Amino acid sequence: MVAGDIAEFALKAAAKADYAEARFESARSNEFVLKNGVLEASETSDTAGLCIRVIVKGAQGSAFTNMLGKPFVKAAVNRAIKMAGQCVKIAKMPIKFSPESPGKANYSVAERIPLADVSSDVKIRELVNIDKSMLATGVNLPARFLTLRDETREKYYVNSEGSFVRSKIPRVLFDYMLTASSDGKTMQRMFSFGASAGWEAFKKWAVAEKLAEEANLLKKILHTAQPMPSGELDVVLSPELVGIASHESVGHPYEADRILGREAAQAGESFVTREMLGTKIGSDVVNVVDDPRLPGSYGYYLFDDEGVKANRRYLIKNGIINSFLQNRWSGASFGIASNGSSRSNSWDAEPIVRMANTYVMAGEYATEELFKDIKKGVYIKSYMEWNIDDKRFNQRYTGLEAYLIENGELKHLVRNPVLEITTPVFWSSVDAVGKNVEYVAGNCGKGEPMQGIPVWFGGPHIRLRKIKFGAHI
Amino acid sequence: MITYAVKKAVKLGATDAVAQLSKENRSQIRFANNTMTTLQNWETEKLELFLSFNKCIVSTTIDIITKKSVDDAVANLAKLAKTARPKEDFGGIAQGPFKYRKIAGGYDKRILNCDLADKVDGAINAALKNAQKTAGVLYAGEESVELATSGGAHASEKGTSIELSLRAFCAKDESGHSVSCSKSLSGFNPEAAGSKAALLARLAKSPVEGSPGKYDVLFDPMAFADLVALTAGFASAFYVETGFSFLADKLGKPVASPAVSISDAANMPGGFGTESFDDEGVPTQTTDIIKRGTLNTYLHNTSTARKYLVKTTANAGLINPSPRNVVLEPGPRSKEDMVKNIRDGLYITNVWYTRFQNYKTSDFSTIPRDAILVIKDGEFVGSVKNVRITENLEGLLKRVAAVSNKPEWVHWWEVETPVYLPYVFAEKVNITKSTM
Repeated sequence: MVAGDIAEFALKAAAKADYAEARFESARSNEFVLKNGVLEASETSDTAGLCIRVIVKGAQGSAFTNMLGKPFVKAAVNRAIKMAGQCVKIAKMPIKFSPESPGKANYSVAERIPLADVSSDVKIRELVNIDKSMLATGVNLPARFLTLRDETREKYYVNSEGSFVRSKIPRVLFDYMLTASSDGKTMQRMFSFGASAGWEAFKKWAVAEKLAEEANLLKKILHTAQPMPSGELDVVLSPELVGIASHESVGHPYEADRILGREAAQAGESFVTREMLGTKIGSDVVNVVDDPRLPGSYGYYLFDDEGVKANRRYLIKNGIINSFLQNRWSGASFGIASNGSSRSNSWDAEPIVRMANTYVMAGEYATEELFKDIKKGVYIKSYMEWNIDDKRFNQRYTGLEAYLIENGELKHLVRNPVLEITTPVFWSSVDAVGKNVEYVAGNCGKGEPMQGIPVWFGGPHIRLRKIKFGAHI
Repeated sequence: MITYAVKKAVKLGATDAVAQLSKENRSQIRFANNTMTTLQNWETEKLELFLSFNKCIVSTTIDIITKKSVDDAVANLAKLAKTARPKEDFGGIAQGPFKYRKIAGGYDKRILNCDLADKVDGAINAALKNAQKTAGVLYAGEESVELATSGGAHASEKGTSIELSLRAFCAKDESGHSVSCSKSLSGFNPEAAGSKAALLARLAKSPVEGSPGKYDVLFDPMAFADLVALTAGFASAFYVETGFSFLADKLGKPVASPAVSISDAANMPGGFGTESFDDEGVPTQTTDIIKRGTLNTYLHNTSTARKYLVKTTANAGLINPSPRNVVLEPGPRSKEDMVKNIRDGLYITNVWYTRFQNYKTSDFSTIPRDAILVIKDGEFVGSVKNVRITENLEGLLKRVAAVSNKPEWVHWWEVETPVYLPYVFAEKVNITKSTM
């Protein structure tokens, strides 16, 4: 059977459920790993499978299978219906979905240089060249770990309410982890580039040049970074820091399923409650959105995995909590519509509330203007260690490339500034937002079993006033 | 099909070939706010192929398994190998055949027929005796693996497992978390997990803001399991070479206090992660990673072992050797005795979001979540919230003063490699918190 036939057959087999949906996914992927200049592994995979999700008397059941003959698919459907029925006794709050108009679409991402046309030889040569460019700097890099992955994922989604959505999205991801060493000291850096596009995205990243610069920078940090000054300081954060902060401390706590407690035993709850909608969380200049429709973005999609059309979600508007990320279940619980935030990372995973591309919107300042009136401060450009508690209230970022600012000018590098701060204070301390938005790629983890899902996060440079820095060790 | 795949690969010029067929039938019930949120079932199969052609390493996974799909996959890999570069330090796979000992306690048919909703209901009700709200997950099922290699290994195994993870809540900021994991129904106690989680939530009554400083800390097995699993993972020869490990260049050197002995007991009867053979078909064994504080060995597959001039520890991963059952050896004292002897300290019951600033130096931070109890003169006298452990992993392991005498299994969302460990007492643990 072909994709559409399998999904349609499964949906028909689930006719006796109160609600049913079938999602068939196939993915063709290639991955190349270069460790210390040596090709460690070349992997190519073709996978495909089906998710069938039903609601029976208020109980939700899903079955996942990659055994795609009709008898197996029918058995999977029957299992989902039967097991959901058996568990009605512990389904004390019936599952309901928000009413939505059925999504109908067939879309794909255009590739200027199709991934399928780029040979493995070319991809491996790129990795080898990147490694050579780093070594050519003469910096001592005892550990270099590079991964290049491309994937083309096709989905065929139908539900019992008439939705039909078909999509084809190619994605490219390049990850690296470098260790620089000098005089017995080491420094490490991890970073990712990602896009929904063809091979042209990788070419645009100019990774070889960037990693050579990175190698030189790590050496410079090792040799010249000075201790952090004490006291209250103003801070300028780069798009890389702004991106992770908007993802971790705005995107996650605004996921409605967390707010409702569905993820409480896994990724956690949220310090944000539904009663906080419309209340102040940041300064007037803070605006944060999540938008799956950004062309070329790593988190790109036009319809979610419940067949709902995707739109931009305005999470913080002028410092006020404006809306949450919703799927059909959480939307029904809030008494509103889904805003198309339901995503699954594969055929063998349920769709749950996820971010796509979360970022701070552009403000009015040129980047250099942000530094101008700072008497004493720190500019944090990149980070290594970060974490945040499971309610998303206490966050921490330890800077990697960071500079002292004195009288509006950048001075020397400073070592490991630690921003350990509560979320409301962080966003309330922002007094200026830059004009130029940049994005960083990541794979965000959530769900049980864990689902890593492609996202972008970003923003422009921002300035925070009077920040008290934390301690390293 | 696996033997066919290996033969086909060798025919096309592969110098090493491993084919592994995995099948799974597993169910899950998720719950939150004392009600089921979803039930899920996976019935899947996949065939993984790992081939080398004169040290050019290629691999694939296919899940539509027919003679034709295997032929196509092997042909594609042979083509891919032509563009790959040789991995000169690849030492090949293990040469069999091997004899396998059946390891007891890995399969219990009763798990497949038990009423999962009843198990969840029991755990929730046990928790609600002390708590107001629960959330968690139950998994149960069966999986089988069959493996064949060009080195003459041929092995198969099937196992069952059942596990529950439950977080209980009382009022705001009052929570506890516990787990129960077993390969057999008799070792599974969901009510005990529910009761413990709720008891911790109750003990965490009205937590106050914690203060930064150095604290003597009693770690619950849930809390220390993450750090033990990470340490064992860092022993992988692959991670040592990629810069992801503070254990590099430390063989034979002290990396922890003498109270710390960590092994990978991959062949442990009834162990939650027990396997009777590794990913190249070598019979598994128990390997001492850290013995009384000294780093004893890295974890190896055949290829990395040849490079380090040692024998494989039967921990393949064909690319990345990995532990199966991590065990922290128990000590002589009871947990109660350890609590009694703490004059001024904290009892940390769970951590999450462990992230490293530098894997080589092992500088990291992790966030205590759920109950953080204050201990004064051997008694629990209150609880705190909003703190972070900001530490150096090697330094912390060297400040472990004692481990208790009763180990427990920990495996949940945050701890992916099963760990069997007791309570751990460490001195002068660095605690930080948000500055504003």
